[in-house]
Amino acid sequence: MTTPYYIPETDVPLPPKDAEVLSTACDYCIVACGFKVHRWPVAGNRNGGPKADDNAFGVDFPVEPLGPWVAPNQHNIVLHEGEPHHVVIIPDKSAEHVNTDGDSSLRGGCIAQKCYNPQTPTRDRLKSPMMRIYGILQPVPWDFALDIAAEVGKHVIEKHGEIAYGMKTYSYQFIENTYAITKYALRHISTPNFTFHDTPSDVSSTPGFRDAGFDNFGPAYEDWKNAETLLMCGTDPYETKTILFTQWIMKGIQNGQKAIMMVPRRTAGVAYVEKMGGLWLDIDLGTDLLVVNAIARTIVENGWQDSDWIQKWVNNKWESSSGFGQGTRNTPWQWRTTWGKFQTKGFEDWKKWLLAQDEFTVENAAKVAKIDPAKILKAAEWMGKPRGGKRPKTSIMIEKGFYWSNNTANTEAISALAIICGAGGRPGQVVGRAGGHQRGGQRGGKYPRNKSPMKVPGRRRRALDTDTWMMAGHTRFAHVIGTTWIQSMCGSQQLAKRFHELTVANPHQVRSYDKQEIIDTLKARADSGGMVVINQDIYLVDPIGNRFADIVFPAATWGEEDFMRANGERRLRVYHKFYDPPGEAKPDWWIIAQLAKRMGFDGFDWKNSNDVAEESSRFSRGSRKDFHMIKVAAHREGKTLHQKLGEFGTNGIQGPVFMREDGSLEGTKRLHDTTRVLPETGPASGNVFNKKLTHFNSQTGKCNIQKSPWSLFSDYWEWMKPKGDELWCTSGRTNERWQSGFDDRRRPYIVQRWPDNYVEIHPDDAAARGIESGDMLMVYSERVPGLKETTLGIEGSDYSFSGQMKRGNVELSKAAVTGVAMVTRHIKKGVIYMDFLHTSQPANALEGRIVDWISGNYNYKMGVAKVKKIGVSPYKTTFRSMSFAPRDII
Amino acid sequence: MQSQSITKPVSDETLPDHAPGKCLMDRRSFLLTSGLTTATVMVAMTPGVADAQKVPAVVSTYPRKFVAKIGDLKPDVPIDFTYPDEGAYAESMIVRLGVPAGGGIGQDRDIVAFNNYCTHQGGDLGATYKGDTKSLGACPLHLSTYDLTRHGILISGQAYQSLPQVLLELEGDKIMAVGVFGLIFGRYDNLQG
Repeated sequence: MTTPYYIPETDVPLPPKDAEVLSTACDYCIVACGFKVHRWPVAGNRNGGPKADDNAFGVDFPVEPLGPWVAPNQHNIVLHEGEPHHVVIIPDKSAEHVNTDGDSSLRGGCIAQKCYNPQTPTRDRLKSPMMRIYGILQPVPWDFALDIAAEVGKHVIEKHGEIAYGMKTYSYQFIENTYAITKYALRHISTPNFTFHDTPSDVSSTPGFRDAGFDNFGPAYEDWKNAETLLMCGTDPYETKTILFTQWIMKGIQNGQKAIMMVPRRTAGVAYVEKMGGLWLDIDLGTDLLVVNAIARTIVENGWQDSDWIQKWVNNKWESSSGFGQGTRNTPWQWRTTWGKFQTKGFEDWKKWLLAQDEFTVENAAKVAKIDPAKILKAAEWMGKPRGGKRPKTSIMIEKGFYWSNNTANTEAISALAIICGAGGRPGQVVGRAGGHQRGGQRGGKYPRNKSPMKVPGRRRRALDTDTWMMAGHTRFAHVIGTTWIQSMCGSQQLAKRFHELTVANPHQVRSYDKQEIIDTLKARADSGGMVVINQDIYLVDPIGNRFADIVFPAATWGEEDFMRANGERRLRVYHKFYDPPGEAKPDWWIIAQLAKRMGFDGFDWKNSNDVAEESSRFSRGSRKDFHMIKVAAHREGKTLHQKLGEFGTNGIQGPVFMREDGSLEGTKRLHDTTRVLPETGPASGNVFNKKLTHFNSQTGKCNIQKSPWSLFSDYWEWMKPKGDELWCTSGRTNERWQSGFDDRRRPYIVQRWPDNYVEIHPDDAAARGIESGDMLMVYSERVPGLKETTLGIEGSDYSFSGQMKRGNVELSKAAVTGVAMVTRHIKKGVIYMDFLHTSQPANALEGRIVDWISGNYNYKMGVAKVKKIGVSPYKTTFRSMSFAPRDII
Repeated sequence: MQSQSITKPVSDETLPDHAPGKCLMDRRSFLLTSGLTTATVMVAMTPGVADAQKVPAVVSTYPRKFVAKIGDLKPDVPIDFTYPDEGAYAESMIVRLGVPAGGGIGQDRDIVAFNNYCTHQGGDLGATYKGDTKSLGACPLHLSTYDLTRHGILISGQAYQSLPQVLLELEGDKIMAVGVFGLIFGRYDNLQG
């Protein structure tokens, strides 16, 4: 796709004094650093000069360290209003928030390389709608493709019901798009066959947080710095969330913060933490729960819990059952916990349960997790034991390695640990997710849960599992937006094979130039039990677009349209358009509007993205990124929502946003802020003051302390754990490619660094298999478990891995993924690690496709594999590309 | 005024001294031929004037600078020097890695030289060489690390490009620096500051 032999430039054009400057934020990770785009025409050859008076930065070159240096990767040439323009995109050197010091990661730092430029590897951006005719995706006009897609979609809904119309979409790619998409799918089509890119069902990623009452993104970035003890689970925030680490956590550590990392790899952040006197809990996969509960047990055995906080902020027996404001026993956690497995009567009851479980002794947890028991004791001491008569300010951060290993119980356990440490509702004492993608979701409709035919014991239906529904052949029309579906789910052979059978292997294939005949063919495919696939994306994705889609719509994205989005501390910004989208590409909201109008839906007559944003604002009211009052302020001042939010530049404003009496706007530093004093006048005008501002998201506003039984997961863990010469096999992403994978194959420097997927393996495990760095490996498994169709069960005991095995509902399939060996000291012995989303080498294929029984999420990080050398990669003997040096050099 | 560059290969014998003001080395040739040299002459042309007058348009070039004698280099012990000039961010290091490396010279292709400033935000990488991993870093600012066996590629961290590699040639037992591959932090042009 692109050459790994990237040749660096040795000079770069500087923006002239009069270059236009537009603010934006990075397109990639949750942190969303503020950036400035400098744009000036190529015509006229008016580049800036090295003297302060001659360039846009007003500084002399060479610049000082941390100054506005321009790396050649930060420059590109784009079309703006049809004319070639230079763009230089560098982090905002005057940023007051997020990326203070004008910092940025490599990913965002080189974001200029993302822009479409036919002279770069971005040349394969999708530029026109395409339709598969005679097996080949051929360019067709917008109207032609839209008419056909809408006709077939309408037919499927009429004949097979809205549940046959499946929608799999990103949840984050800007508020305007997600609003339009969900308005279409949930409000108008009203299909339960709907979910987001990272889960098979539309469910919470962190069920335990929801039960306890914690918002995923309550904390402010300064809280992570101000914590005196910080436990980070399932992530090294230096590798992912980079600037959150370098600008906030690192400064906290330099200020004496005791940092604890719980991950199986010793990457740079972990190495730094250890160097600074912190702690690495180097656990085996899936043993988080035991270690977290062993820490909690040590804290309560020593009486180090925050008793005052617990007294005031934890629900007692009566409060636990009260269902405050929602009707008795009708809160999400209560309907999930009718098995009696989680609910407690308050702290004492929870403590009694915890102390009665032998698996949570320090000795047992350390033995199963294969760590030094002294580390558990040390962690408990740092988190709970008073220092000089004062409790430490303790905070807890979690991310995917943690919550995608044992989804429900891990998040229940960490919530309980947070509660007893007094974390969650005060400055420097917080609990939350570190985050993955940015927060650009705005629902335009409600998920129609009652239409889902899937149910587990308890009171309510469960959101439909789109993977098993598709596997069962019930999805006749799959509308896929900005996600790979197959690789980003479990990438399993099972899933890919079924897609193939239902689409290209179906006898009804388009072999005609006639529009009606094409429509009839695709209808016949759906009626015959097959599936029609339409795909919206910025590149042709393999296999969902390349091999399976019947119609592909080209999407316009970051920098090609004005958009809004929030980051991991709910900070809302405008991402300005600064260049023309390639060819006929259109933003997703526009594509959806065209389809919706053809389907006969009203309310899709938007003229621009601001119209969509303004319509969506009232649906944000009361949410963590409530931006409605920005629109109210804008209209008072005769501005648009985009204009008004744009005035906040790269600083943006943190949601929920309120209007003060004088009409000015005020953001929200942190949620659940028990120290916050709200205006006595109450929620005047359009302001919404809800519980989450000063209390927790529970029925009483206090926290629910929940049990977290190992037994709901232990059968799966025991079955899964490596047998014979298998190794634990997990996956994730490195700093250099995180939340940027959709662009990275087109960014030459990233491709040079990571040309292929890789397999990190401990030197002992490598030696036992005759493997050296640079060898080409086959990573494979004969026992990748996957649910056949839906979950089959009658009794409560059926809803477990062993119960499903007993009922014959688990199919074991094979998987094989290649990768380049990286023999390294930074990974724990007995564990291998790969990049989880190299689309051509999808490591997720090795992870079990078994949902968490309670939440409906996959535990993506849990798998096993065998490894063998199949040859030697070119990187072993050449020097231009890749590196086999360890990631823990400090 | 328009300017254009004309590149033509020249043999080592016909090359003049790499003195400032004479010619500009072509960086792509440095990488791709690693030793063979070319010269680029910048000319200025005045449209409409039949006899375009040739003048040097770029007034500086990579100097050919003595760095060290081969015998001075002990394995894993870097020696500091400045290149391509004495200006800001010219501090560089040369080291014998003891293992073959991209762009390495000497019998074992293990002698390499790099600029000493992190290509992220300009952190000083002086004295961060690690012999066990043949790396520079971690940068004191944001922890970036660089693999010196692989043209200074980023190992882990934030940098926007590889560490600029100082191109070396052997002249008997003398090691000469002859160019830089990649833009030096802080500068907009390696030779212009």
